[in-house]
Amino acid sequence: MVAAGLQLVFGVQKIVNLACGSFYALGAYFGVTVVTRALAAGLPPPLFLVVLIAGGLALAAIGPIVERVLRPVYDRDESFQIILTFALVLMFEDITRFIWGSSPYQMGNVYLVYGQWKIGRLTVPVYNLIVIAAGGLIALGMGFVLSRTRFGRIVRATAENREMSEALGVDMRRIYARVFTLGTALGTVGGALVIPATAVTLDVAVEVIVEAFAVVVISGLGSMRGTFVGALLVGVLKAVAIAAYPELELLVIYVIVIAVLVLRPAGLFARAAA
Amino acid sequence: MATTRRQFLELVGGAAALATARLDTAPAFAQATPVRMGVLTIKSGIGAQVGEAGLRSAQWTTDRINKAGGILGRKLELVVEEESTPKDTVERFRKLALQNKVDVITGVISTGVSLAIGPVAEELKMLWISWDGTTQKGVEETMPNPRYSFRSTDNECEAVMASIVVAKNWKGKFRTVAGINPDYSYGRDNWQAFLWIMEKYGNPVTPVSDLWPKLGTTDFTAHVAALQQAKPDLIFSSHWAGDASVLMKQAHAAGLVGNTKFVFVVAGGVHETLKKSFTPEGMFLGYNTIYFDYADASPLQKQFVKEYNDRYKEWPVFECERAYLVTSAYKAAVEKAAKAIGGKWPTTDQVIDALEGLELESLGGKARYRKDHIPECNFYGGFTTYKNRFDFVTIDPVVKMTGPEVQKPSGVGLKDWIQSWKV
Repeated sequence: MVAAGLQLVFGVQKIVNLACGSFYALGAYFGVTVVTRALAAGLPPPLFLVVLIAGGLALAAIGPIVERVLRPVYDRDESFQIILTFALVLMFEDITRFIWGSSPYQMGNVYLVYGQWKIGRLTVPVYNLIVIAAGGLIALGMGFVLSRTRFGRIVRATAENREMSEALGVDMRRIYARVFTLGTALGTVGGALVIPATAVTLDVAVEVIVEAFAVVVISGLGSMRGTFVGALLVGVLKAVAIAAYPELELLVIYVIVIAVLVLRPAGLFARAAA
Repeated sequence: MATTRRQFLELVGGAAALATARLDTAPAFAQATPVRMGVLTIKSGIGAQVGEAGLRSAQWTTDRINKAGGILGRKLELVVEEESTPKDTVERFRKLALQNKVDVITGVISTGVSLAIGPVAEELKMLWISWDGTTQKGVEETMPNPRYSFRSTDNECEAVMASIVVAKNWKGKFRTVAGINPDYSYGRDNWQAFLWIMEKYGNPVTPVSDLWPKLGTTDFTAHVAALQQAKPDLIFSSHWAGDASVLMKQAHAAGLVGNTKFVFVVAGGVHETLKKSFTPEGMFLGYNTIYFDYADASPLQKQFVKEYNDRYKEWPVFECERAYLVTSAYKAAVEKAAKAIGGKWPTTDQVIDALEGLELESLGGKARYRKDHIPECNFYGGFTTYKNRFDFVTIDPVVKMTGPEVQKPSGVGLKDWIQSWKV
């Protein structure tokens, strides 16, 4: 989802937004806070997922603010964009430290509230399946919005030719703000969805950015379908490497990244983007 | 009787001499600036919890020392810098030494950082007493016969203790084993020590999986799936930070907790995150050099634990003991060295000589700095239980082992030392 946010914002606004990792981290931290408070206030545990997603979506309200900060660098060299968005990563890290402290943050005992699913000898937490399903639904939803709605057509037109879209009367500022907010929501909701099963730390933003970039490089900048397949590829290869030869866990991803950069620099799905 | 001019001059002269003498006999440093102790500790990331605990303890110890009159009358003051990457931490070490002009530098938790710090301490002739940089790998190359660096206990102490306890208590109850350890020398040394000790105790095991997630991993889904496939009788882990509880939580969710035996050699360092809801009873849990709820604890530990909990609403972990040991060892060494030279403030070399062989009481009991600059401390661990007043697991009974029982002697290889045991 972080990679999808990165792709969306790059595809439309042509900006490499490193802060997408921070949105993921903020979503996770904020998710812990809202769910913990809601449970303390008497929320039935099975409803925590609703609060979690709502929290992630609400946090996406920071999107338009950040987008406003980025406006001065839209037409400037990519290096300015990278420096500015990396500065945002560092600022968000300090804001997070100020609000939530520097220790790893975890959610209480809600991970198994939906139980476990036993398939033969394997036991899978139902929550994991919910997250997988949510990821699939969000991907389908994104596909529907981008290909079947008026907003999606405008977004695609803007991604194809900004000047022409503007000449035809598209309010570019509004589209940019909406697209950036959508990209932000993908990050914040992604972070919120993952946190019940794991922990979040201050440096998670940078870790996520690196993986998201690997996905984007493999799939090709600007390709949403490619991002979906690239993310699956990275996840599955990582899992296979851990099971088969753990030493290759990290290497395997970067071997593919290097191979793609050498053999198909535009990415595996670059044509789909065009 | 009238005072003559000569008598008056003698009286004034005598008083002046007395006043001068009093000024001279009071140590010159009593009026001087505070003793400045640099502290390098982790403030962010997966190790932040442990780093913060160490810093709190260093401050508690400093306050205690100052309340009791400081070090030879001088107040102790901490100058805190962040421990992060080896490169950045080395720069901060240099800053503390050259710019802040501290008298001693303490702290450092990461093995990788400590390897980088050692040569710099030697180069700057800066006394550095490490809290917790425990590796031996690469030490021979980077810190052969260190003069200014005092390291921490060996990497494998916790694993040696856990392995001995497990070998004695679970003999014949497990055959296949899997390791999941952080991918650096600490994790690798521990796993190797475990396998050697199982062999030594006549408890041959078959490793069916050895996984090496990087330190700080927070998603173990794929690792847990690999462990499910391997179906080991026992899972051995030396995760020591926030990742330990994430691993346990995900293992529990995937149904690994049940028939599988777990050995977490040092996760007691984040014990409050090991909630009863996902941590099994009967798991071996190592606490390193202090166990917060130890019934036979010294009055010093009891006072520390109470005040720590009153202030932070948390229960202390091993990094607290490490920071206390180092801070109070410096004080004790300065005082010991000063005594040997007639009460004057000692030089760094004299403090180092005093530290070598120094014995003192730490939070976990008696401790000692060996001549090779490595401390000996007590280690604590045991099998987890839910029978307590907390929402996290504790251990019962508490097993305590002394430094010489779990740490190889100076100049001996770990494998040779283990093979020399009579079991």
